[in-house]
Amino acid sequence: MIETRLGEFEEVILLLTGILGEEAYSFKIAEEFETQTKRSVSIGAVHSTLNRLEEKGFLTSKVGNATAERGGRRKRIYTITAYGRRALESARDLRMSLYNQFPAFAGKMDFGFSV
Amino acid sequence: MNKKRVKPPALPHSLLLRFLRDELAEEVEGDLEEKFYNELKHASAFKAKLNYWYQVIHYLRPFAIRKNKFTAIYYDMYQNYFRVSWRGLLRQKMYSAIKIGGLAIGVAACFLISLYVKDEMSYDKNFVRGNGPYRLVVQAQIDENKTERTVDFPAPAAAALRADFPEVEKAGRYLSSPLFGAHENEIRRSDRNENQHEGGFVYFDQELLELLEVPVIAGNLKYALTDPNSIVITRRKAEKYFPGEDPVGKTFVINSDEKKLFKIGAVIENFPANSHLQFDFLMTLTGVEFWPGEQSWWMASNYQIYVTFKPGTDINKAAENIKRGFIEKYYKPALVASGAVGFEKILNSATFELQPMDKVYLDASVYDGLPHGDVRFIWLFGAIAGFIVVIACINFINLSTARSANRAREVGLRKAIGSFRSNLIKQFLTESFLFSLLAIVSGIMLAWLLLPYFNMLASKSLTFPWTAWWLVPVLLGAALLIGLLAGLYPAFYLSSFNPVSVLKGNLSRGSKSSGTRSALVVFQFTTSIVLIISTVVIYRQMSYILNKKLGFDKEHVLLLQGANTLGDNIKSFKSELLKLSGIESVSVSDYLPVRGSKRDGNTFYNEGMEKVERGVFTQKWLVDPDYIKTLGMKIVQGRDFNPDMISDSTSIIINQTMAKQLNLSDPVGKVIQNWRKYTIIGVVEDFHFESMKENIGSVCFVAGISPSVILVKAKGGNIPESVEAVSAVWTKFSPNQAIRFNFLDDRYASTYADVERTGSIFTTFAVLAIIVACLGLFALSAFMVEQRAREISIRMVLGAPVNTVFRLLTQNFVLLVLISFVVAAPVAWMLMNKWLQDFVYKTDLSWDIFLLSGACALIIAFVTVSYQAIRAAMANPVTNLRSE
Repeated sequence: MIETRLGEFEEVILLLTGILGEEAYSFKIAEEFETQTKRSVSIGAVHSTLNRLEEKGFLTSKVGNATAERGGRRKRIYTITAYGRRALESARDLRMSLYNQFPAFAGKMDFGFSV
Repeated sequence: MNKKRVKPPALPHSLLLRFLRDELAEEVEGDLEEKFYNELKHASAFKAKLNYWYQVIHYLRPFAIRKNKFTAIYYDMYQNYFRVSWRGLLRQKMYSAIKIGGLAIGVAACFLISLYVKDEMSYDKNFVRGNGPYRLVVQAQIDENKTERTVDFPAPAAAALRADFPEVEKAGRYLSSPLFGAHENEIRRSDRNENQHEGGFVYFDQELLELLEVPVIAGNLKYALTDPNSIVITRRKAEKYFPGEDPVGKTFVINSDEKKLFKIGAVIENFPANSHLQFDFLMTLTGVEFWPGEQSWWMASNYQIYVTFKPGTDINKAAENIKRGFIEKYYKPALVASGAVGFEKILNSATFELQPMDKVYLDASVYDGLPHGDVRFIWLFGAIAGFIVVIACINFINLSTARSANRAREVGLRKAIGSFRSNLIKQFLTESFLFSLLAIVSGIMLAWLLLPYFNMLASKSLTFPWTAWWLVPVLLGAALLIGLLAGLYPAFYLSSFNPVSVLKGNLSRGSKSSGTRSALVVFQFTTSIVLIISTVVIYRQMSYILNKKLGFDKEHVLLLQGANTLGDNIKSFKSELLKLSGIESVSVSDYLPVRGSKRDGNTFYNEGMEKVERGVFTQKWLVDPDYIKTLGMKIVQGRDFNPDMISDSTSIIINQTMAKQLNLSDPVGKVIQNWRKYTIIGVVEDFHFESMKENIGSVCFVAGISPSVILVKAKGGNIPESVEAVSAVWTKFSPNQAIRFNFLDDRYASTYADVERTGSIFTTFAVLAIIVACLGLFALSAFMVEQRAREISIRMVLGAPVNTVFRLLTQNFVLLVLISFVVAAPVAWMLMNKWLQDFVYKTDLSWDIFLLSGACALIIAFVTVSYQAIRAAMANPVTNLRSE
């Protein structure tokens, strides 16, 4: 059986895929990951995760267009599926519910999420 | 702009394409190229390329790697091979245990010996730098048929090296002879009263300290030994005498001589265990002169010299220069001045060598009194270790081929459904790798468990190299090698079966290769018997040495050490001892007839002949008048010393060898001389005082006091009581120094510890070899019985008596052992004959040694086989025949 829960890294990659939209391919996601999280990552690691998320059904992919800086090679663009959106939502809900139960944070913090 | 033309590196790119799945190639190549040019914008080309490498390597992930159709099949097949091997291993527990256990023993032995060999080879490596240090060695023809390599040089030689030879960088001396107060002494801090006995004393040059670059713990190495009466001690002694204090500047009293305090100049690191230099107290040579003029005297050689050279020096040429310089400028003039004759030949035959420091330990041919390793034994032990592994591999081969019938159907079936022979070979090799891996792992565990015992056996302090980088690669390599060695023949043999005949059941059960098997068993037992014979011979030689009539009586002689601190009280101490009832006689002398005690080499001439004849090089021992009596030596001519005769201070007693060398047929009353004259009053029968490896040398006794050792001959009977009585007297005379004694026979035995050690190592490995060989024999016989169970049952039903069946099952093996003995005996004879050639005094290689060893091997093999044979012969035939 395929594991359907999201790991931390998977969650971030999934979100970044959503954020980048039409530009969501391995290299861009890896770059975005590094700028947003200040953590370094290899393209291979990102690609591997994208591959896994696609196998789980959270993502679909199609071959996109080619550009000159990549030697005329085409890229693979990833898009979140409805199932992937649901997985993200349930991950966020769980997170929020836990934050709300933690007395130090409950009621004081507003993350700007609309539930 | 220049950067624009930089391209992603080609090598990682092609590597990427090699392993990457084809359908991913385009997007990944694209991504990486984009990344590369992106990197170039803010980093150097080198960094970008490095990053490209990094990215490529990080694509080595399961999802991205090409799934080779064949790889997948291979993977599955190997999984299958492993599973089948593992099941076989579990099903045949006894055979598996013997295969693995035997190999494990072999591996453990091999590993321990490798550690030993590695340690022997590692001596003094950490002292060696590009330009030395070298030890100065001289080789000279001292007799018509004897050349000797020695390391003793005169006191001024080191200074001469520095002054006369510009290529010399540093030269330093040490002096370790007990004759001058080195070696062993009584020592105490000057603020304490109690003397402690310590060894490891040596006189040392400041410059030697510098050229060895010994690591310093405290103090300044530059000035450590520059002051007169300064001393350098090692860390362990600093910790012993000055725990928690700074020892530098503190003082020692040596041998209760309070007028001469030794001041600590520095503390150095302990000399490593694998060094030929083993000292703890380094007394300075600055301002030392042992007799007037000694430091410029070229006729007495007592110092060892170490040299370093300036970079680019040709060492051979340097040795030649030094030889010529020394001989022309110093030796010849000194010899001429002393009026000596006949030295030209020795000088002309002399060669100088510069021996690299790390070669000292393994070169036992130099006469330097240091403990040495023996290269021959290193090779021998290595070979034995190899043989034990081979014996264990043979078990593996024999059991695998013998049990081939059990695998024949599997082989036939695999072939019938399309397996190639190569697949089967791979399968069987996989199996043997599995076995050898298990054996290596258990062997290493075994070696680790046995290491403390092995250390005891070999008197080493080896540690297990868990953290060494080479451990895992070497073990994996060994696993591969042993797997291949043990598995190759069975793999080819088993995979050669013809599927049709095998499946029809035609193959006679494992008998085809019995010729090979027999040959291998013969090899195993030949090796074992050679080891057994060697062991017996070594023990014979050892007991020969220990029981040989030595010319003196070594039993019940107590040696009281450190008696020099008694000073003038020594006479009254002696007479007090003589009052004790258990004491027969007492003598005072440091010169003992066992190797490693005090020696004083001299050249003697017949009276007035010092300018005419070559002289006799002899030992001159200072003894008191009771020496010969105490040691039970025999006067063959003339008389012993008489304490009441004042003239005996110029009397001398010589041994038979010396009389012969002096060409004296009637020596008593003759006068001989070194630098003074002595009258011979007696001749003592030759007695052994050096090694059994040499002829008895010449020696003479002169009456005098050398007060470090007191020999106490106890009457037989209650020795402990006598020891107690002696202790009581000692405590009365010397309350500040604990009594320290040993026995002469123990001292004597300990000088042959190396022979004994060789003996016990041989025993151990002989036992291991025979255990492994017998394991194999046991398994083979079990298999034979199993195979012939039905035949035996039918014979028994038809009336064969038990002893016929028993003979049937054992005679083949007995025959094999007999053949092994015939092969082994001459080999062992040659080997041991060679070993015994080291000794001048040796036991015979008599036939009973061979008979004993052969009988021993035969009995062991017979007992091993009998167990299975008896079981088979006693079994109820019905059980085996019922199922048919």
